[in-house]
Amino acid sequence: MTQGYLGIDIGSISTKGVVIDENRNIIARSYLWTEGNPTEASRNVVRELEQQVEGTGVQIVGAGTTGSARRLVGAMLGASVIKNEITAHAVGTTYLHPDVRTILEIGGQDSKIICVSGGIAVDYAMNTLCAAGTGSFLSSQAHRLGVEVEEFGDIALTSKRPANIAARCTVFAESDLVHKIQVGYAREDIIAGLCNAVASNYLNNVGKGKKIEAPVVFQGGVSKNAGVVHAFEEQLGMPVAVDPDGHLMGAFGAALLAADAGPITNAESGPFASGTFDFEALLDFDFKTREVECGKCANHCEIICVYRDKDIIDSWGNRCDRGAVRTTA
Amino acid sequence: MADILTLPQEARSRIAVELEKHREPKMPTHRKKYKRDRHKRVKLAFFRYCYYDPAFKFFAEQVLDVDYLTLPEATRRTTEIGEQNSTDYVCTPFKHILGDYVEALEAGADILVQFGGPCRLGYYGELQEAILRDMGYQFDMLNFSRGIEEGAIGWTKQCLKLVNPDINIPHAVRQLAATANMAVKLDEARDFYLANAGFERERGAFKRAWASYEDALRAATCDRDINEAFRAAMDAMRAIPLDKPADPVRIGVVGEMFTAIDERSNLNLDEKLMGMGVEVHRMMNLTNRYVRYNEPNLRRGAADYLTYDMGPTSTLTVVAARKYAQEGFDGVVHAKSAGCTPEIDCMPVLQQVSADFSMPILYLTYDSQTSDTGLDTRLEAFYDMLSMKKEKTK
Repeated sequence: MTQGYLGIDIGSISTKGVVIDENRNIIARSYLWTEGNPTEASRNVVRELEQQVEGTGVQIVGAGTTGSARRLVGAMLGASVIKNEITAHAVGTTYLHPDVRTILEIGGQDSKIICVSGGIAVDYAMNTLCAAGTGSFLSSQAHRLGVEVEEFGDIALTSKRPANIAARCTVFAESDLVHKIQVGYAREDIIAGLCNAVASNYLNNVGKGKKIEAPVVFQGGVSKNAGVVHAFEEQLGMPVAVDPDGHLMGAFGAALLAADAGPITNAESGPFASGTFDFEALLDFDFKTREVECGKCANHCEIICVYRDKDIIDSWGNRCDRGAVRTTA
Repeated sequence: MADILTLPQEARSRIAVELEKHREPKMPTHRKKYKRDRHKRVKLAFFRYCYYDPAFKFFAEQVLDVDYLTLPEATRRTTEIGEQNSTDYVCTPFKHILGDYVEALEAGADILVQFGGPCRLGYYGELQEAILRDMGYQFDMLNFSRGIEEGAIGWTKQCLKLVNPDINIPHAVRQLAATANMAVKLDEARDFYLANAGFERERGAFKRAWASYEDALRAATCDRDINEAFRAAMDAMRAIPLDKPADPVRIGVVGEMFTAIDERSNLNLDEKLMGMGVEVHRMMNLTNRYVRYNEPNLRRGAADYLTYDMGPTSTLTVVAARKYAQEGFDGVVHAKSAGCTPEIDCMPVLQQVSADFSMPILYLTYDSQTSDTGLDTRLEAFYDMLSMKKEKTK
């Protein structure tokens, strides 16, 4: 029996999971849509991973979560590491590409840039007020154009004259796009223009003021779009590498951090109660989140309580100790 | 005498009688000296601003000699009221302050105070007054943007006219100096707090010490009380046991006057950083911006980045960031409210500082949001990055 670690990255659009073995190689992968239900999505991801690991003799002894639902799913899995996605991505990518200098990342709702020097992250930026040019924007535009977002990249590469589309803001980009559709531009030119707009919007917003040095790695869901990769290469004037596991880097980073933390040995309940991961324990229970408004002062904090069946297993959102909720499990 | 002798006998005797009539003897009496009561019974309220409430109270009670209305802690409702009654694009401090004013008026304030300011803040008083009057409130507004052209004399006139005509001027001047001293003492103690509270062995010890410091300052009536309270507070804070590593992660906070300091505006930035075990430094405070502010000399110290004064707090922002970089800080957090033009102007300069000293800077923009999940993610990532870097470059 060898020890393995589970890493799950629960994003707003997709949920990613990996299992790594003792030598920190990815031995199981899963990628599913979150579809507005992070607990169900992560359960499905864990199920897929479980099936892939079965029979290899690997026992999962620890778990890490990242992504915007990391807290909820972390509580559900009894994870030892609950890390933000920036750290997780940096850890994952620098492990696989120790010589990388710049990590570009565009996900479903957010985008970030991480500058690396000597194998460690030295600077980062994340999109702030606006989700322009992220994956969800691309998929809604794909829907408008009547193509699958997965085909986007290949269609974009066939274009000879990409349309010029305003890149500053999703609203402007969309109205510009509609106008160009109605004027009769070829579809591949519009799609290529959209890919260029995503790249230049990213470089002007997230990448503003950051020195982008080669080697560059591009990851996140949008990195699967060859059109955007091509646009980045043109605008940066340098090759942009895309890892085949690029969309899993957050989950991989979370798994690596969990491996650093070591096996979970002191869990009283939850899937790790027996020392190794018990998938059945996850299925038996129903996980629910309820928001409680604290009435102990005029601030009325929204306290988020995570229930496993009837037990409160975690809560957060209170500003002071008056609003602290006791866990009952 | 000659005249008397010429008078008829009868008249002479009458005069003699009159001469005998003595005035009542004047007994020495202690007339009670009446001292005019200069205190005026009106309730004055400031907006909530960082940890300076004791200084505002001292100013109201000791300088203006009126009642002071202490506001309870701000809640989400405060922000909501402010937001509802402000235009969307005004900067965030405006909304917070407006919410404070409404709550102050509801609590019975007669006079509201607004400072002048070197940026848009200078117009806020007028605008907020108009908005509050439109909402139907009746009050007076002591707005230090008025009378600014005459300087101290103009402000004195404002205070006498609007607040209290009986201010004892020499006394008030002495107490004004004490108010400035209180701001300095608050800032000095706060610097110690920020640098050490992240490492306290017992959670909440520093907060308690700080609360009793504020209580002591709220009760102060003269300069000596302030100095005594300061000494006691510093003793109390120094006595708190710490688990501080020899080389902790150090982060400097720079930015605009309101957002960089005010906990409500920056969603407890200080506490969040200290909670992760960070030594926090912040040059921006009332002491460094007003009491001891000498802009041209400050700018001279960062002459390689600054040629001109760019606005209200820009010089301090850039100088502080450069100082932190030179002192080998691990990182800097730049906090500003959305749409703060002077601080946006600082950002390219800060980027240059960041590149020259290879020290990361995290740029944060705040609006009146209440969810701080995004902030947690960014701060946590920033801290992870700095501490990993520190570990690997040891």
